[in-house]
Amino acid sequence: MPLVGQLALALALIVALYSIVANVLGARRDLPALLMSARHAVWASAAMVSVAVLALWMSLFRNDFSLEYVAGYTSLTLPAIYKFTALWGGQQGSLLFWTWLLSIFTAIVAFQHRRNPGLAPYALAVLAGLAIFFLFMLNFVTRPFDMVARIPADGQDLNPLLQNYWMAIHPPSLYTGYVSASVPFAFAAAALITGRFDDAWIRSTRRWAVLSWFFLTLGNLFGARWAYEVLGWGGYWAWDPVENAAFMPWLVMTAFLHSVMIQERKDMLKVWNLALIGMAFGLTLFGTFITRSGVISSVHSFTQSGLGPFFLTFLIAVTVSYTALLLARVRQLRSPAEMESYLSREAAFLFNNLVLVGIAFAVFWGTLFPVLSEAVRGVKITVGPPFFDKVNAPLALALIFLMGVGPLIAWRRSSLDSLAKTFAAPACFGLVTGLGAAFAGLREWYVLVAFSLAAFVFGTIFMEFRRGVTARRHLVSERPARALMNLIAKNNRRYGGYIIHVGVALAFVGIVGSSFFRTEVKKSIKPGGSFDVGPYELVFLGLKHDETPHLESARAEVEVLRNGNPLAVMRPGKLFYKRPQQPATSVAIRSTPVSDLYVVLASLDDNSGLVTFQVFLTPLVFWLWAGGFIAAFGTVIVMWPNMRERAAIAAAVRGPVTIETEPASVPGGD
Amino acid sequence: MPKKLRFVIGVSLVVAAIAYLIITAVRNTAEYYLTVSEAKARQVELSGQTLRVAGRVVPGTIRWDPSSLTLKFAITQPPPGDGQPGLTAIAATAPAPAKFMVVSRGQPKPDMFAPGRDVIVEGVLTKESTIEARQVLTSCPSKYTPKQN
Repeated sequence: MPLVGQLALALALIVALYSIVANVLGARRDLPALLMSARHAVWASAAMVSVAVLALWMSLFRNDFSLEYVAGYTSLTLPAIYKFTALWGGQQGSLLFWTWLLSIFTAIVAFQHRRNPGLAPYALAVLAGLAIFFLFMLNFVTRPFDMVARIPADGQDLNPLLQNYWMAIHPPSLYTGYVSASVPFAFAAAALITGRFDDAWIRSTRRWAVLSWFFLTLGNLFGARWAYEVLGWGGYWAWDPVENAAFMPWLVMTAFLHSVMIQERKDMLKVWNLALIGMAFGLTLFGTFITRSGVISSVHSFTQSGLGPFFLTFLIAVTVSYTALLLARVRQLRSPAEMESYLSREAAFLFNNLVLVGIAFAVFWGTLFPVLSEAVRGVKITVGPPFFDKVNAPLALALIFLMGVGPLIAWRRSSLDSLAKTFAAPACFGLVTGLGAAFAGLREWYVLVAFSLAAFVFGTIFMEFRRGVTARRHLVSERPARALMNLIAKNNRRYGGYIIHVGVALAFVGIVGSSFFRTEVKKSIKPGGSFDVGPYELVFLGLKHDETPHLESARAEVEVLRNGNPLAVMRPGKLFYKRPQQPATSVAIRSTPVSDLYVVLASLDDNSGLVTFQVFLTPLVFWLWAGGFIAAFGTVIVMWPNMRERAAIAAAVRGPVTIETEPASVPGGD
Repeated sequence: MPKKLRFVIGVSLVVAAIAYLIITAVRNTAEYYLTVSEAKARQVELSGQTLRVAGRVVPGTIRWDPSSLTLKFAITQPPPGDGQPGLTAIAATAPAPAKFMVVSRGQPKPDMFAPGRDVIVEGVLTKESTIEARQVLTSCPSKYTPKQN
């Protein structure tokens, strides 16, 4: 099996090299037969990588400890699900997984554009170029099918902290997000190479960009949820370099998805869009570089290895060549159109872009600060979470404000009258919310502003939905529920976008609430003892011990009472894994929309019999997860196939005519 | 042209505001991030400051009081050339290396905390060459180096 995998990877590399030559030659000399052969090469390469992936999976399931990878990341007692996920649990496997996604996506692109190549041959060549780097690494530098000298009786097992379902789905989501960003990037590069600067590259890859955003959103969300459930410190985000590495591409991708709308509508910001997708893609590589190289010390330091220099070289090569290409074309990319007024949607989007990229830059700067300060001043200076909080808190407010304004303000310019008419009701709703919260006893000005702005966003979106539904009811006399369904179905891109906004604003409320009002109680007690946390009384009933071949566990039974009424029994535990002998925490969480009760069995002391509990009461954190999933749901609606849009894409790919995708006649009114 | 100029000014203002935010935040939150020997070398100058020190937990120095949640231990400079965060013990024959006592109060003991582990301690350096820790971070490698014996 390992031999088959190794061989498949070598063949994939050769075929990928051929596909570059065939694609470029075929497109330059206009040879359809050669282009067809190039497509076949793309598909063959994807098939070969798939064979390698299957081979590694089979070795993992067969406990083939003759493979270094299998021995390093699994054991005989590891549950099957984690053998499955061990494919991306370690370095070689995760690179293989990345390459697999890349080659499958490339194959899909080749299929999508088989009849009407346009930019595709060049884009396919760029994608193959990216794949070649990874295949080179897999063949020569970090080989997943390397054997051990002496076959061990059992493997070393997977890090207990990673034996969690969120951690099982977090890396593949993030990787899918990263890798799908390379499709728009490849088409942008193809546009620069061929000199076709219309928005064909944007239209033919918009869905890939949305897909990338979808998975980056989920990846970040799952990662945060994992930290929340597993690490046992009551929080979900620590501004660790590894988290920042996943967050930055998300920010830039968000900016990109907004600014391409301006290019599609107004033919502006061409250079900016090309630069943004370059940045987004560069940041995905940068993220992989910093997590794998050990350049920046992180609490989650992955295996440090010799991969750093390779990734850095690749990152620099990609960045420099793309930037050079962009600079060479800048003159030809000048757009005749220009912004007319600050009171326009273009302007709102422009500033939304500035803020998003500003946040990304601040995160980048803070993450790299230790390295930069050491290079410049010779001393390592670090900025911790307070830096990120301080910078991003005001920027987040600006972003939420623009999120309320952007979708409703008119294109080109809008009069003060129409602004007043559009925004009076949502602004009042925001104000009333803020004042209500102040009367209810909230005194933190930041929280008051944040909640008011979030309410403003909900207000604008509610108005938009109501207007659309009312118009449909009058025009085609539908019932409200039916009208709402049709409204969304017929303008999925727009109303899906609003749903995403609702989700993001809810998540923001969750973040603000949980950051400002978390309370923490620590107590060391013996069975029978009790203590208070906020409105709750916690009674420690006793300990239960358990043992499986894989781990030993001790669980505390804690009864939760409110006003003397029992609400629930929570079971926080301590796990002792056997293979890497190491304790781990199993947190008990009781989640409600109002607040989460989060109980950690912090330590057991055998000598004194004392058990230490650490309990967090975190308000509103529920809305972070709910909002995240609502945003993901909205993204699914946005991605849903839409026949009208498909026709527009086909037209855009055939010729440089711009076609409006959101006809103004359908209710809503732009 | 003035239209364009208006936008140039607006964009520059936003960029300047973001730059200002970053600069002030760096000024207010920057901390030294040092190894044990680096911190030892500048101990007098650093006294009273909040900093981060990376070191290795010295076996046999750990005192844990679960009733008051007080953790005391010593950290030292890992021997050169040993970048692996693992469970290797420090050779007892080496000349007494630089050391700091660390006191963490009111925090539970981290799961990964163990003798010989690499930790990052964030806290205030007191005059008595003790670090009053606000936070003790243990690094968690994704893969385990097997115990050498």
